[in-house]
Amino acid sequence: MESWRKSPRAWALSMLAPGMWLALFFLAPLSLLWLISFGVKTGITSIDIDWTLANYARAAQPLYLAIFLKSLWIAAATTTICLIIALPVALVISFAPQQLRAWLLLLMILPFWTNLLIRTYALIAVLRGSGHVNSVLGWLWQLPDGLLAMIGLGGHHLMGAQFTPLEILYTDGAVVIGLIYVHLPFMVLPLYAALNSMDRSLIEASLDLGAGHVRTFFFIVIPLALPGIISGVILTFIPALGSYLTPDLLGGPGSQMIANVIERQFKAANDWPFGAALSFLLMYAAFFGLALRGLADRRAAQPGGAW
Amino acid sequence: MRILFRRARPGPLEYHRRWPLRLVMAAALLFLYAPLVALMAFSFNDSRRNIVWHGFTLKYYEKLFANTELMLAFANSLTIALCSTLISIILGLSAAYGLWRFRFPGRTLYQSVMAMPIVIPEICMGVAMMAFMARTGWPQDLVWPFNLGAIIIAHSAFSFPFAAIVIQARLESFNRELADCAQNLGAGEFRVFCDIILPHLRPAIVAGGLLTFTLSLDDFVITFFTSGPDSVTFPVKIYSMVRFSVTPEVNAASTLLIVITVALTALALRLQQRAAAGVPAQ
Amino acid sequence: MHRKTGFSGRGAALTRRHFVQATAAIGLTLGGLPKAAFASDAEEKQLNFYNWDTYIGETTLADFEEATGIAVKMDLFAENDELFAKLREGNPGYDVIVPTSNWVARMAAADMLAPIDHGRIPNIRHLDQRLMEDDAFDPGHKFSLPYMWGTIGIGYRKSKFPEPPSSLKWLYDSGKYSGRISLMSECDFLLGMALKYLGYSLNSTDSAQIAQAEALLIKQKPHIKSFAEDNGQDLLASGEVDLALEWSGDIAQLMAEDDDIGYVLPSEGGAMWQDTLAIPKGAPHPQNAHAFINFIHEPRVNADITRLVRYATPNQAALAQMDAAYMQNPAIFPPAALLAKSEMILYQGEQAISARQEACTRIFAA
Repeated sequence: MESWRKSPRAWALSMLAPGMWLALFFLAPLSLLWLISFGVKTGITSIDIDWTLANYARAAQPLYLAIFLKSLWIAAATTTICLIIALPVALVISFAPQQLRAWLLLLMILPFWTNLLIRTYALIAVLRGSGHVNSVLGWLWQLPDGLLAMIGLGGHHLMGAQFTPLEILYTDGAVVIGLIYVHLPFMVLPLYAALNSMDRSLIEASLDLGAGHVRTFFFIVIPLALPGIISGVILTFIPALGSYLTPDLLGGPGSQMIANVIERQFKAANDWPFGAALSFLLMYAAFFGLALRGLADRRAAQPGGAW
Repeated sequence: MRILFRRARPGPLEYHRRWPLRLVMAAALLFLYAPLVALMAFSFNDSRRNIVWHGFTLKYYEKLFANTELMLAFANSLTIALCSTLISIILGLSAAYGLWRFRFPGRTLYQSVMAMPIVIPEICMGVAMMAFMARTGWPQDLVWPFNLGAIIIAHSAFSFPFAAIVIQARLESFNRELADCAQNLGAGEFRVFCDIILPHLRPAIVAGGLLTFTLSLDDFVITFFTSGPDSVTFPVKIYSMVRFSVTPEVNAASTLLIVITVALTALALRLQQRAAAGVPAQ
Repeated sequence: MHRKTGFSGRGAALTRRHFVQATAAIGLTLGGLPKAAFASDAEEKQLNFYNWDTYIGETTLADFEEATGIAVKMDLFAENDELFAKLREGNPGYDVIVPTSNWVARMAAADMLAPIDHGRIPNIRHLDQRLMEDDAFDPGHKFSLPYMWGTIGIGYRKSKFPEPPSSLKWLYDSGKYSGRISLMSECDFLLGMALKYLGYSLNSTDSAQIAQAEALLIKQKPHIKSFAEDNGQDLLASGEVDLALEWSGDIAQLMAEDDDIGYVLPSEGGAMWQDTLAIPKGAPHPQNAHAFINFIHEPRVNADITRLVRYATPNQAALAQMDAAYMQNPAIFPPAALLAKSEMILYQGEQAISARQEACTRIFAA
């Protein structure tokens, strides 16, 4: 990395446009919201910027902290499972021959161009009591009996008298499934990009030297693909934490996440200052995680570091 | 004789041929596609409520094409996605390059600010944009396509960091010496960027572009808060339709969307392959 | 092998950049000219209508255009608070909106509505006087006129109940139908009906009473399948639940397709609401808005709408044109005795809403 003074024109050219865009269309609206979080409602639509901390104090109550922790847990579960699924998938795609690779990538990305709402309703049709999963399970359930009946031993009800459908929908599990369904490409794409640019000869060398595939995978591939993994984790965990449509549509009575509460403040409750305070608390927490990443980056980039 | 009929064992790096990985891949694809296939199948369902299969019909497709508002919303969504992807790639590329190459005071701050759009709950961003536009007196009655400007700006503001992250991951594997070499050989900076770095980044740009296109097409929350009477997008329209129940018409609309995106992506990939095929193998 | 890419050198790039900049500048300037600059003094033949989904007749908008030459553009919203959030920071260009009664009060208090000139709506004479008099939410109907009215009650699957489950007890205070119940997620009605079950007023602001309702709901939560975001009738239709607290019209629409569905107002009394037509402040075409509202209450037009929408219309002339099945449908016209026990949902002020929302957050988090 060189100092910006070495070529200030190139620096300005590359940094200015995104910087200005961010400042004007991102920081400015957010600053407005930040001001609102210190405000107090003085009427139905009017807010007075009082510089009060009452909203933040209210957000720190156990009620909201508990919801926050639950959201963290669900997002963590989603990210972990996504990573476990995405690594083999990205591996298969990036090591496939060129033609096949294009098709596989297309196949992976395609579902995610369907609208989120549609996909969630599609999932509802799959997961609910009379949905496809339960239809298949119900069919499988009656299979032993059916087979026995074919050889004349029917009537034994090996699996119990009545098939009870799995209650998947309207539970936390459904929310996690839904979030995985939505966020899988955000994990696959960066992994694919990282694996694609990896030096394959290192893997070959490792295999030649006698390490098995599993060992090579954990000790060679993963460390080399680490930047991609970290990108993927960030791109998955944080949106999962802040998602609200999925828990809203697929979740049960107890599945509300922090974003649902925030949404309510901005809509039904019409309490913008409190909603703004909650959103900013959420942001600060995730920001903290990113700062850790920044520190790790800086340590790695110093002389004597990883490279 | 035996060797002729037995398939070759998978080579060491042929992960796509190893059965455990194939299994995972197949399971993942099944998981992804089963709900969608069911969705598409039920678009032909002769039942308004669309819970149980009643019979085959095409009438919901007729309804769909007659629904000009839905078609208009769809056109809006595509326009917005294309524009915001273009802007996002430019901004994301620019930012990723600058962050990778230069050390400057405030670099970490810049990176953190860039990461913020990913951190923020969409609703927060949407409300912030809405309040911002109201307070700054954003013109409300612009002619198409400029009335989509607010949404395009909002979309690119929150999606270009995604593109930047993907491109940055790829940049980290780029060998700086190649660039130095080229400069030593007399290439100007811009030339180095275009001819050396950009080709290396191509897969990341494609990946980043696909990502931002997806984000924009799919977005509901931010669009909802920044759209007005003239600029309804597909997701916003769908949300108000599915509020009561998913009729086969909505299924038909999504099937149409899927078909179109398949066509577009196939085209894009074909073009990219053709471009790549123009280069003789090294 | 040196691969040629798009750009071919700094000189060419600069020229290209200037060209792009110039085009962008021109484009932005042209786009920045608001359409209004080219309009004449008279209102243009356009109307922007912000409505719920499937809440207007199939041909109503086309008919209006044919009758008056005014083209209607209809946008949809899914919930009252969406409508409110959209209009909160200023009207983005809507002429006619359809808020529910309790939200009319809120929007009027926030100065978001323009008064309606009753003189320009001759068809107002067709509206049911009783409903017009029930104007606590909008005294004198200054800002709104009734569009449709209905109730919140219990939708159920007939085959699962030997006799109709006519008490809120089965939804709020009993494990008998555990896992087969869905309630609404809309806080006002969720808590309101709990309050009615406990014998209090739907619109109570007494914190002790609300605390009691909250405790009741938290206790009942394990038995509830879902707090439906207005898709309760879907859950009922698909067999996920057998009991649903729902809007009357949603259940009525379902009943038209499925004979096994019934609707009943609870014995403790249900909730009543009115959906209204209103003109937001700053509407660009107020004249057209009045014409449209008048058109909707044209008896023939109104009857068309009602046949599709299947809610209760306040338009008596239209009622005269409806068929017997509609008039006798208990979901649309509940028995008078139960209606008498039902209360109209009211807006009680920001504090009350805040208190209820907190209670609901606690219920959802418990």
